[in-house]
Amino acid sequence: MRRTVDDSPATLAIREGTVTAGSQQAIAPESAASKTSAVRALSLGKHIDDRAILDEIDLDVPMGRFVALVGPNGAGKSTLLHAIATLSPATHGSLALFGQTVHRWAGAALRARIGMIGHQSMLYRDLTALENLTLFGRLYGVDAPGERAAELLEKVRLSDRAHDPPKAFSRGMVQRLSIARALMHNPDLLLADEPFAGLDVPSTRNVEALLAQLHGEGKTIILTNHEIAQSLRLSEQVVVLRGGRVVLDRPASQVDVDAVTREVMA
Amino acid sequence: MSRAWRQLLLLIGKDLRIEARSRQTMGLVTVLGVLILVVLGLGLGPGKVPSGPSGTVLLWVAYLFGGVLCFEKTMAVERQDGTLAGLMLAPVDRGVLFAAKLITNLLLIAALAVVITAVGIVLLQFDLSGVLGPFVLITAMSLLGFAAVGTLFAAAVSSTRLQGGLLALVIFPICLPLIIASTQLMVRLAERPDEVGAGGYLILVAFDAIYLVMSWLVFELLLEP
Amino acid sequence: MQRLTTILKYGYWVIAALLFAGGVVLVFAWTPTEATMGPVQKIFYLHLPAAINTFLALMVCFIASVGYLWKRQQQFDDLALAGAKVGVLLCSIVLLTGMLWSRSAWGTWWTWSPRLTFSLVLWLLYTVYLVIRPSIEGQQRRAMISAVYGIVAFVDVPLVYLSVKLMPDIHPTSIALAPAMQWTLGYWFLPITMINIGLLAVAYRLHRREALLARPRTAIAVRRSTFHRPAATGGAA
Repeated sequence: MRRTVDDSPATLAIREGTVTAGSQQAIAPESAASKTSAVRALSLGKHIDDRAILDEIDLDVPMGRFVALVGPNGAGKSTLLHAIATLSPATHGSLALFGQTVHRWAGAALRARIGMIGHQSMLYRDLTALENLTLFGRLYGVDAPGERAAELLEKVRLSDRAHDPPKAFSRGMVQRLSIARALMHNPDLLLADEPFAGLDVPSTRNVEALLAQLHGEGKTIILTNHEIAQSLRLSEQVVVLRGGRVVLDRPASQVDVDAVTREVMA
Repeated sequence: MSRAWRQLLLLIGKDLRIEARSRQTMGLVTVLGVLILVVLGLGLGPGKVPSGPSGTVLLWVAYLFGGVLCFEKTMAVERQDGTLAGLMLAPVDRGVLFAAKLITNLLLIAALAVVITAVGIVLLQFDLSGVLGPFVLITAMSLLGFAAVGTLFAAAVSSTRLQGGLLALVIFPICLPLIIASTQLMVRLAERPDEVGAGGYLILVAFDAIYLVMSWLVFELLLEP
Repeated sequence: MQRLTTILKYGYWVIAALLFAGGVVLVFAWTPTEATMGPVQKIFYLHLPAAINTFLALMVCFIASVGYLWKRQQQFDDLALAGAKVGVLLCSIVLLTGMLWSRSAWGTWWTWSPRLTFSLVLWLLYTVYLVIRPSIEGQQRRAMISAVYGIVAFVDVPLVYLSVKLMPDIHPTSIALAPAMQWTLGYWFLPITMINIGLLAVAYRLHRREALLARPRTAIAVRRSTFHRPAATGGAA
């Protein structure tokens, strides 16, 4: 159930190809101000030890958009995601989430609207699935965390393993539980760092279906991925990162696998 | 305000529950402490162990090494599956994260101290009658400062690849005032009880106050998801 | 301009060396020998200025560490490291001269007297600073952890000082100094302080060069971080 891309000026700009490959132009704030973006990055940079891991990143993600971030290894995809999650603050440029500027250490209110799935599960292997979920639910101040946890376990189809610890789970199950954890507080923005890594085909289908369902519910999703065809299939907007810079930023319907692959491999 | 307290209790409860289930830390740390006492006792030989309260300095060796291991392990729990990132993503104040880890560490090394002291009394024949009150007070105050410094640097060191011994290296010199003050106090209590003034206690209080505040403030700078 | 700085640099060290040599001559030719201890007492003229300068160097380390936490610029870390290195060097001199003194005055190389213990703990605190650095990967991470340790260690110094005072001082040392001796002592501050500052400058420059050389070839021009200054970036809200 794909949402149609709306006609805000920002997306018009993308459709008309104004934001071209290698372009450093920021989407002018005035033209994109009609709707608060979920994520707006302007000249975002992250320099570690004099190396630019991220360099002059301009990104505008309207609410409800499904974005796929692709690129070769070391392009900075994870770093960008961590910066958006306010986990590892950027060093240059500016970042706004839901219309609010993010300072070095972002406030709790913003973090409460973000959910993240990373390379690691962020689950305590000695606590049961249910305990893990209720812990994070309580930390986020969720009402009736126990019920919410049960509901989410149902959603990710792990209800029968609610009282088992993640150390007894397969990789696919851990990933699903991790998604449940990220959803406990019903975030508006879901960040997923390579959610399909290490999953077999049925698990991949499971996660794809879950993400599509969440997108259908109106959540903004940004995921990083290696698989280009899959990314194009799932997402509405494809952003290619290479050497810490955005080299392509187009609606998924406007590009094909070869074009994207060329940019990634260049 | 109450949300912070709630989160604090949640996090401490979580750590204690994990410790109860996995039993990784307490067993290791306690056995290490006992081993140290045995080595010291054997090394000094029967009859050579300083009797009376001044002998409690030997206990400090066990507390220190056991404590450092304990701090490393409680922080390692958060490294295992990236749960530290999960906690940092949550709307939890970094000060609360520090306080939770600190209290967990305190509870664990308090338990360690109880066991070690009991073993010490038996193996090394300490006679704490008459000074038990001051001993408990001095030890508690020292362990508090030790845990503050340890919690802070455990966060720093746990993100580095090479861990072994690094934490001990960093904590021991900084905690020397604690060790000097508490051992000197114990020696005076044993030998010259009338000379025990407020000086030693004040140093412990000053150390605890300064390092609790400093560690709490600086903790978030050392956190790396 | 380049020649002038080179001349000044050489001149500085020549003066320091001359002052030092002059000090040695002064001590052995002019200053009266202390009655009870004999010639070994003369080591005090080196010991005390070295001790004060140790404290100065470590203060430089502390201030630079605070500076790093505040500004996050590598220069501060380089200065802090310089302060620690020179501090440890001078502290080693303090320890060694103290031990020589102890040997000559009381027959043992070591006593757990407050002063000696204090010097030892100080030495340990900052040697640890130097030793842990190579174990931390990543320049920024290393600088951050070092800065925190640098601050914590310096704050520890008064606490160490107070706590060693609790220790029994079996050999109280108070020497009455004749006026000529006071003059000599005052004189010795000149070369030692010059050497202190000179070494700090040399070490700092060395670290700056190392830091610049360590940058990978793809390095871009270092720009000051602007992320935490929301007012400067503007327009994103």
